[in-house]
Amino acid sequence: MNTFLARASRHVGFQVGAVLLLLFVGTALVSLLWTPHPIDALNMRTKLMPSSAVYLLGTDHLGRDVLSRIMVGAQTSITVGLIAVAIGLTIGVALGAWAAARGGWVDEALSRTSDLIFAFPAVLIAILITSVLGASAQNAILAIAIFNIPVFARVTRGAALSMWSRDFIRAATAMGQGPVGITLRHVLPNIASVLIVQATIQFAVAILAEAGLSYLGLGAQPPVPSWGRMLRDAQTYIFQAPELAVWPGLAIALAVLGLNMLGDGLRDLLDPRLRLLRVG
Amino acid sequence: MIEFLSRRLAAALVTLALATVVVFAVVEVLPGDPALVMLGTDARPDTLAAIRAKYGFDQPLLTRYLQWIGGLLTFNLGNSHAYGTSVAKLISDRLVVTLPLGAMALSWATLVAIPLGVFAAWKHRRPGDWGVMGFTQIGISVPNFWFGIVLVLAFAVTWQWFPAGGFPGWQEPLKSVHALILPALSLSLGEIAILTRVTRSAMLDTLREDYVRTARAKGAPERVVLFRHALRNALIPVTTVAGLIAGFLVAGAVIIESVFRLPGVGQLVYDSINNRDLVVIKNVVILFTILVLTVNLLVDLAYALLDPRPRVRA
Repeated sequence: MNTFLARASRHVGFQVGAVLLLLFVGTALVSLLWTPHPIDALNMRTKLMPSSAVYLLGTDHLGRDVLSRIMVGAQTSITVGLIAVAIGLTIGVALGAWAAARGGWVDEALSRTSDLIFAFPAVLIAILITSVLGASAQNAILAIAIFNIPVFARVTRGAALSMWSRDFIRAATAMGQGPVGITLRHVLPNIASVLIVQATIQFAVAILAEAGLSYLGLGAQPPVPSWGRMLRDAQTYIFQAPELAVWPGLAIALAVLGLNMLGDGLRDLLDPRLRLLRVG
Repeated sequence: MIEFLSRRLAAALVTLALATVVVFAVVEVLPGDPALVMLGTDARPDTLAAIRAKYGFDQPLLTRYLQWIGGLLTFNLGNSHAYGTSVAKLISDRLVVTLPLGAMALSWATLVAIPLGVFAAWKHRRPGDWGVMGFTQIGISVPNFWFGIVLVLAFAVTWQWFPAGGFPGWQEPLKSVHALILPALSLSLGEIAILTRVTRSAMLDTLREDYVRTARAKGAPERVVLFRHALRNALIPVTTVAGLIAGFLVAGAVIIESVFRLPGVGQLVYDSINNRDLVVIKNVVILFTILVLTVNLLVDLAYALLDPRPRVRA
């Protein structure tokens, strides 16, 4: 761990990523307790105001404080991203580890299924799901999670397969340990770094996906603030209040940039030979 | 090679068949009563019954599925609930916007990304490389629809060089191309970033090869080494990824067309969701799937042509 910290202190990308992530999570946490203004206080007299000392980032078309809404929007991004990645990680790792341990038809079926899911672009899966089940944050989470499952399944399978051919796992098999025990005790702990890095990258992808879906009106519904939705509303007033279209996009870009840099940094620090899946 | 390609074609057809089952299940089985989805829960029983009869929702699932597949094979996709016109015509009218948009974005991405990637590999671990890598990091982090909005802010609101959105139609070709430039630029941003990274790492791999060292040793100019010896071989992984990206471009079009109010297939999907037009949605999704699978097949073909080594395992 100390060598990890020592190397981290020399990795600029990792540090920038970590600072951006702290800022992102910190903003969401602060917004739970305090925002400069109430997020849903409508006031038509203060609508579309430019930046000022009272409203640091100005106000939107309903006179609501943009900064406050961006702060609370961070909660939406984190919630949707975190839950979607957690679901994808849990199911994907289980399936991937199963395929690697069992081989044969399980492995084959899993590979074919993930090919099938990859044949649909992620946005389309999301659109299909939300068009049938209705637009909501939950359904956006579901759609993003479904796309995450095969990503984690593939990464886990690949990494786990290379573990199964190692001598210490052969030894464990020879000592009579079952596949479940070996997977939990030996395989998963040894591939954890791959999964951590992939999870960081997928978190970034999920935040982008959530922003895209809510931009289309398929994510979190009003009055819950979400960055994508704010951009959609801002576009309507792009000639009157161009600034409005800048801040939420900048927030998305910085959050995603932070996670991507952190992910790349972690990859360098944990295992420089890692190869990642990047699909989105 | 023919065996390899026919095996790939068979795999794609199986995937497509499974995809139709999935789409059918999600659109027509999952919601319970598709008529309720289309009309909403406050619809009157007689209108619901009329819709069920009109779209055949009252028939057994298997019959409905086979009818749909039969329709897909004969390009008889039925009528849109919201527009009243034929879905096939609706889609083909929109493809003339979406396909040129995707093609522009992909060619632009390739034109920018390959030289950038070669440059970064050439300047490996020097400031030029860091600059390019920093740019790609930003490129994959900035949402393409926000980039589109920023382009509108700069080039449509501030300088008014380009329209903020809309599409005049191909009877005015110059204006139409003009209207597609900002959308294609925003669509290509993420793809440029990914393709640059792939080109760079493929170049770094080939630049380490013996034949590159040989070329340098015999005094070949750096330009020839980079482009004739190294890039030709690096193009193999680049083509694969470019193909994968083409699929995502099609999907990205849904959001970008919405940003620029382009009447393409993406906008059709978006409108169909709002209209709960299930007939259109299921056919467009399958169309997108066919597009992605076709592009992947073309990539396999290109791959086979670029890399003539015989393929033992597909």
